[in-house]
Amino acid sequence: MSARVAGTAAAGVALALALTQDVLPGAAFYHRWQYALLLAAALAVVVASIVSALRSGSRWAALALGGALLAGLAGLASGLLGPDTASVIGTPGTVAPIPALGAAAFFGAADAAAIGRGDATIVLRRPGKPALEVAAFGHRLDGESILGLEARPAAFVEAWDEHGAHLTITQPSNASFLSPVLLFRQRQKIGEFDVPFDVFATPGRGRIFHALFFTPRDLANFPHAVADTAHPALILTVSDEAGKPLGIALAPSAKTIELGGVRVRATLGTFPALTIASAPPAWALAGGLALSALGLAGGALSARRRAGAAIQPAGT
Amino acid sequence: MRQAVVIVSLALLAGGCYSGPDPAAVAAGGPATLTGAPAQSFEVVRTDGRVDSLAHHRGSVVLLNLWATWCPPCREELPALEQFSRAYAGRVVVLGVDQGESASVARDFARARGVTYPILVDLGQQYGRAYQGLGLPTTVIVGRDGHVVRGIDGAMTLAQMRDAVAPVLAKR
Repeated sequence: MSARVAGTAAAGVALALALTQDVLPGAAFYHRWQYALLLAAALAVVVASIVSALRSGSRWAALALGGALLAGLAGLASGLLGPDTASVIGTPGTVAPIPALGAAAFFGAADAAAIGRGDATIVLRRPGKPALEVAAFGHRLDGESILGLEARPAAFVEAWDEHGAHLTITQPSNASFLSPVLLFRQRQKIGEFDVPFDVFATPGRGRIFHALFFTPRDLANFPHAVADTAHPALILTVSDEAGKPLGIALAPSAKTIELGGVRVRATLGTFPALTIASAPPAWALAGGLALSALGLAGGALSARRRAGAAIQPAGT
Repeated sequence: MRQAVVIVSLALLAGGCYSGPDPAAVAAGGPATLTGAPAQSFEVVRTDGRVDSLAHHRGSVVLLNLWATWCPPCREELPALEQFSRAYAGRVVVLGVDQGESASVARDFARARGVTYPILVDLGQQYGRAYQGLGLPTTVIVGRDGHVVRGIDGAMTLAQMRDAVAPVLAKR
């Protein structure tokens, strides 16, 4: 392989690795040593190729390679120095400050139907700037952060006593004590399953429920047949306030079951968390791409002129 | 039967994983962090059958008290709240917001205790979520401009209620 081909290939790899952080943001791989090593190796070849190009007078080639070097260095810095992708999990209807962005995330209110549909929203507000409704991954914020949504399992829980009187749901282990929406911040490994887990209580009846969230795929993989594998379901265990076990049941989404003297209905679905991923600065990526394109175009034009100049004397 | 055995074994494994309250998680939120934020409002039914919300009282100083009948500190706080609502009638609107219980449960309980201020029945616990109640009772003081002035976790005495609203009432 000639040095020129190696340089071009390395420049392509460096550009691609840097751009991937922007196109497919949030992957943990960008912050691993393997990614940094790959990018650093490509950049070393690019630098050597730039030196070689300058020595041979190929300024356009050096410019194109310089563009790749700029974008690649930005990608390397972002991967090595940028914070790992973070998730901000908020209860529906609440506000979470994000000091690192100088912003606050407003998590949309969500009833049982909204949890079931999984279409709740997050709005980011910053002083003096218009509100930003975050949709799928891809909102670039102030250059070096990319915002996105991560659909996390959620359950809207309702409970009644034996007379049909509504019962308060509390979450003693969560910051949002008075929310009937479980966000399953913990996970539990059970055999081959690694499932979301949460706890809620009905203090009016002195009951504590442990909830394990099973997706339709999990249910289909149960060693024994489950009646409905088209929808998610909870496995609920209930105990009294002294910890005495009172029962266990499979609670399909939106179906009312009776457990431990309490009627429980959990509507299962998703609620978004805000993900914040670091990425190379937009100016570095755009500048690198522009320089590379300029270098390639200039090189092509220069080559055409040289070819024209070489042909002309022969034809006269 | 075999399915039940599987469920029981899964649950036995799950039974041991309740970690109890997470102090770090609790410290991250709470009503005190809402000072200065716009006070969120939701329309709900009151125990007297009318529809009401915090927003209906915009322009007044509001003491919003989240409570439930099963909550012992809430029950202890009720006489002081009633006394406060009578003493500050016309200056401060007191709204009780029952969390997650049926209107009949809240109404019967409030009647038996001689509560005269309006009780909102928040079946969906929207106020509880929005005001990040760490427990019950939770009290939120809302200014005339519709912004949260203070959020207080736990039962308050009459003197503490007076102190909480004094700075807001002093503003004209």
